[in-house]
Amino acid sequence: MVAGAMLATHLAVAASAASGGRIDFPTDHPAPGTFPQKWIHGSPSLYDNKDPILQVHWYNEHTAILRENKAYNYEGCFIYLIFGNDKVILWDQGSTALRNIWPLRDLIDEVVAEWCKRNGREDIELVVTNTHLHGDHYSGWNQFVDRPNTTLVGLTHEERMAFFGFSHYPEQRVEYDLGGRKLLIWGSPGHEDSELAFYDPYTQLLCTADMFYRGRCYIGNWAKWIASMERLVKFADAFPISHLVNCHIEIAANGDDYPRASTYQPNEPPMQMNVAELRRTYEFAKKVTAPGIYFTGDVRLYDEVRSAITTEENPYVY
Amino acid sequence: MSIKLRAVRLKLWFGTSVVLTAAVLSGRGEVTRDYALDHPAPGSIRFTWIYGSIASATNRDPRIQVQGYNEDTYLMRENLAIHWEGPFTYLLFGNDRALLIDTGATPESKYYPLRDTVDSLIKRWCKVRGKTDVPLTVVLTSAEDIAQNQAYAQFAGRPNTTLAPLALAEAKKFFGLSDTWPTGTATLDLGGRVVTVLPTPGTHKDGLSFYDPYTAFLFSGDFIFPGRILIANDKDYLASVNRLQGFVAQQPVKWIMGGHLEMTNLPGVDYPRRTTFKPTERLLQLEPATIDEVAKYAASTMGQSEIAVRSDFILMNRVGPGARALTRPPDLPPVPATPAIRPRP
Repeated sequence: MVAGAMLATHLAVAASAASGGRIDFPTDHPAPGTFPQKWIHGSPSLYDNKDPILQVHWYNEHTAILRENKAYNYEGCFIYLIFGNDKVILWDQGSTALRNIWPLRDLIDEVVAEWCKRNGREDIELVVTNTHLHGDHYSGWNQFVDRPNTTLVGLTHEERMAFFGFSHYPEQRVEYDLGGRKLLIWGSPGHEDSELAFYDPYTQLLCTADMFYRGRCYIGNWAKWIASMERLVKFADAFPISHLVNCHIEIAANGDDYPRASTYQPNEPPMQMNVAELRRTYEFAKKVTAPGIYFTGDVRLYDEVRSAITTEENPYVY
Repeated sequence: MSIKLRAVRLKLWFGTSVVLTAAVLSGRGEVTRDYALDHPAPGSIRFTWIYGSIASATNRDPRIQVQGYNEDTYLMRENLAIHWEGPFTYLLFGNDRALLIDTGATPESKYYPLRDTVDSLIKRWCKVRGKTDVPLTVVLTSAEDIAQNQAYAQFAGRPNTTLAPLALAEAKKFFGLSDTWPTGTATLDLGGRVVTVLPTPGTHKDGLSFYDPYTAFLFSGDFIFPGRILIANDKDYLASVNRLQGFVAQQPVKWIMGGHLEMTNLPGVDYPRRTTFKPTERLLQLEPATIDEVAKYAASTMGQSEIAVRSDFILMNRVGPGARALTRPPDLPPVPATPAIRPRP
């Protein structure tokens, strides 16, 4: 009886997984998805902030976008979790290292378990990698080093290139197969020397990470950045794009700068951007000839200017 | 019945406390202290200020750190997890009056309960002194400084409380400086403890500093402090610093107690704006000789858009608060370099 019941349960699980079979990720139309009306955006007193460590938003049932709580770190990064049949890839691990104060791994475990339960799986391999090698994107990486069924892509440019199979970074475009869902990945340096852009043909989301987002695009190497912008624009000419997604919001809906390290941003615009904004920024940037801070109307370009510099004025001048 | 204590003869302030407490417990009524010492009142700052945390949401330090410098002098800091400015406020007691200097960066009492904290301190102090209450005066080093005027309204309507007016003309009248601003000085008598009020416009048009002869502290707000001193009017600033030099030459000053702290413990290195985790802060207190160094650089930067980086402060003239010095003066000791932006080919 007991053995029979166990067998029945086992069969039921198998049947449930098999009922949908392998998940189909069609690419002939953009899989629908949504963004929240408002992301968590810090609070006047961080001490009294009761929001979760990250906001988990399911863009659709196979794509999760997470936002860091600004009361844990002002960066408030966006983190991407993209599921295929065989693997789920985690793009970025945020700004806080210690699991006891910012338990990213435990949260990712919950999100992965939720997806597995919904899709009749026991588990799925987790691939941990980064849009680029800055501390606000890899601080939580170490929380995963002893996680079962997990592949960590190293935190050096060489390890990243070897993992994804790049021989001609940044121009080369590689495919990374999550199991029926193949991401396109290529280089977009300029903000940081190992930055990657990725495109998901299933949702038609293009992730421009830290090189292009509503905020201060900190450009350490202008020549590399403008070349990366050109690659993005050309990609957008050739591929359908539903939304551009990225890793930060540092601007208010009215265009005002939320100065560096702001921890309360009640008037944020949407995170997602569109191709028209990308093109406008590229056209604006082509005319820039000298380092400086430029507001394009959509974003601010910190062209080889130190990130800690803000453009705030002294309100007390008399 | 009033007992006069010759505090000058007491070597240790906790000794005073024991005597005062004993006086109350023995039911001998109200205690009066003689604040006229021939040396700065004893006290020490042998503790670490709360300095924020890696993740502010997990911070469980007190909302306001209170440190008794001595029985009649309290130093307070706002938790950086409530506001990154982490301003310092001060509560002084004389025989007849308490004085609160500055009110921090957060208005909401549920986040930053400054009034409740001051109430508790006053209540305990009154108990030790055998009093039922003591009048409170609230003053600001600048009524326009949004990092020091925010909890001012918490004291509106508080019984037995006088608030220095916010408008400059009214404030001048309140202190008795209408005819002599900014060269004159005024006094606030707390009852045997007479605090000097010094107009120090320059970082704010209504800037004030307060000198307490009992502790020999100069409370300077954001006029002089270990951080980025943001000059709002350089002529006024230099004139005020020069006047302060003259004042300090006539008075013993033990420490300058500013309203903010932004320097690290490395000379000339500061924490950028909005930093909420500052584990290696410089000491808050500045030596009086710092005024001379400030005066030197206030003179040399006059009329110019310039940032003077010094070991203990950064003087910023005609630039915004988020401006950063791109080079380090060669006379400061070397510190680990931050990566330079690659020059454009």
